[in-house]
Amino acid sequence: MDDKIKMKVQELLQSGKIKGFLGLRERHGQVGPYLFTDGDDLEGLVVGDRFKPGDSRYPLNKQLMKITRGDPSGCYGVLVRGCDERGLKTLFGSGQIKSEQVVPVGIACPQDLADACECLKPYPDERVAGEAAEPRSFATVAKVEAMELDERFRLWLAEFSKCIKCYGCRNICPMCYCSECTLENKDFGDIGSLPAENPVFHLTRAIHMAGRCIDCGLCNEVCPADIPLRTLYKKIADIVEEEFHCRPGYGSPETPPGLNIRGEELKH
Amino acid sequence: MEYRTVLTTCTYCGCGCGLYLEVMDGRLVGTIPCKTNPVNEGKLCVKGWNVHEFVQSPKRLTRPLLRKNRELTPVSWDEALDFTAARLREIKEAHGSDSIAFLASAKVTNEENYLIQKFARAAVGTNNVDHCARL
Amino acid sequence: MQYPPNLRVVRVMCSGMVSPDLILRVLSKGADGVLVVGCHLGECHYLEGNLMAAKRVAMLKKLLAFSGIDPGRLRVDWLSSAEAPTFVRVATEFIEEIRALGPSPLRVKA
Repeated sequence: MDDKIKMKVQELLQSGKIKGFLGLRERHGQVGPYLFTDGDDLEGLVVGDRFKPGDSRYPLNKQLMKITRGDPSGCYGVLVRGCDERGLKTLFGSGQIKSEQVVPVGIACPQDLADACECLKPYPDERVAGEAAEPRSFATVAKVEAMELDERFRLWLAEFSKCIKCYGCRNICPMCYCSECTLENKDFGDIGSLPAENPVFHLTRAIHMAGRCIDCGLCNEVCPADIPLRTLYKKIADIVEEEFHCRPGYGSPETPPGLNIRGEELKH
Repeated sequence: MEYRTVLTTCTYCGCGCGLYLEVMDGRLVGTIPCKTNPVNEGKLCVKGWNVHEFVQSPKRLTRPLLRKNRELTPVSWDEALDFTAARLREIKEAHGSDSIAFLASAKVTNEENYLIQKFARAAVGTNNVDHCARL
Repeated sequence: MQYPPNLRVVRVMCSGMVSPDLILRVLSKGADGVLVVGCHLGECHYLEGNLMAAKRVAMLKKLLAFSGIDPGRLRVDWLSSAEAPTFVRVATEFIEEIRALGPSPLRVKA
């Protein structure tokens, strides 16, 4: 898989089509994001399946946002999985990145990762390497939904009480691009105090993920307290689909989510 | 526009979480936890997440300051060191070695921290050494 | 004609500015329920403010249900300013519903 990606990146860089390729590089024994700019020096380029599939995924779209803002005329390549592609589409739709500045280089996730992620689309539309894995449905959401109301409340209260308020879920999130965050607004919460308001701190973040969350699961991976945030945000994506008949990132990039609600038949 | 990531270690405490600092045109613009680091496994605390902020803070001390007439005034290194040495000697002679304590920092190198404990034990003669990273 | 005294009215320009953050904040600060009242659908001065409110409340209700808080604690209704008796009826009904649900779990958890 690495070799196919390397060849593609080399071709793109040498043709001058892209100024740099934002991917992952293994160096000093660690895998991290890196902007490759020389087509002849792609040593260490990896796709992030080190010991197990997808164990070193990074919010590359978030870094791409910084890069394209720093260089508004340059065109850059980026390594995308299914989730990253959904993220890119949503960021194009909300005007955070210009689509003409990005050349995605897609890889499909292996089945193990698709199973672990419960991913609805574990592959990008255009891929350079990898075989499309079978999609999976949200079993974790169904499990919570099968519980009684007070049981659910106790579950989430116990989970959220582990929060150390590191803001990691927000910081790593490739879809969190607001310059001012409600979670740091004193009118909406007790900022700077611990523990985080339970459960409202997390519910506020969850409701802000509506129409944004593309289910990459980085929030879950980054949480030092192992709060199953992904399950909560998966549910929010389900709710958005029920209410707005669209799921962020699954449509075409030209049509932003159906936010034009005027004239739509209301069920309430 | 130049963009690169630099693998480094968090300086806030003794855990030593691995992280990448994002550098854009010579300025630090962000922190990303290192996913493969066995210490933190891609996680960080709130201090680690903001580690890029203190480096370029305008509040950082860049030269020695001495309190003269209740006001901190910039002085030369020689003056600052002479004053510190004289006062430390005075206090040691008047109240004994254990009336002095040394606080080291996590944001300097291991070697500098070694030097301060050596100074405390050998020159001043006290074991009162502590460190902000001793969590 | 009187609405229940344990209802605290917060006036806003339009139901479209009642963000879910505000509703969550109110619940976190100890309210047992939140009643969002907007103009009749299709009669919004700002064209789509109450349609937004309808969607937001519907979404928040589902999120509350998922996180174990009774969605009945949140209600939305559409009234015009000329319908005082209806407002009294809606408010009284809502207070009775909340009374049946008991104190908010967010308030009694500690």
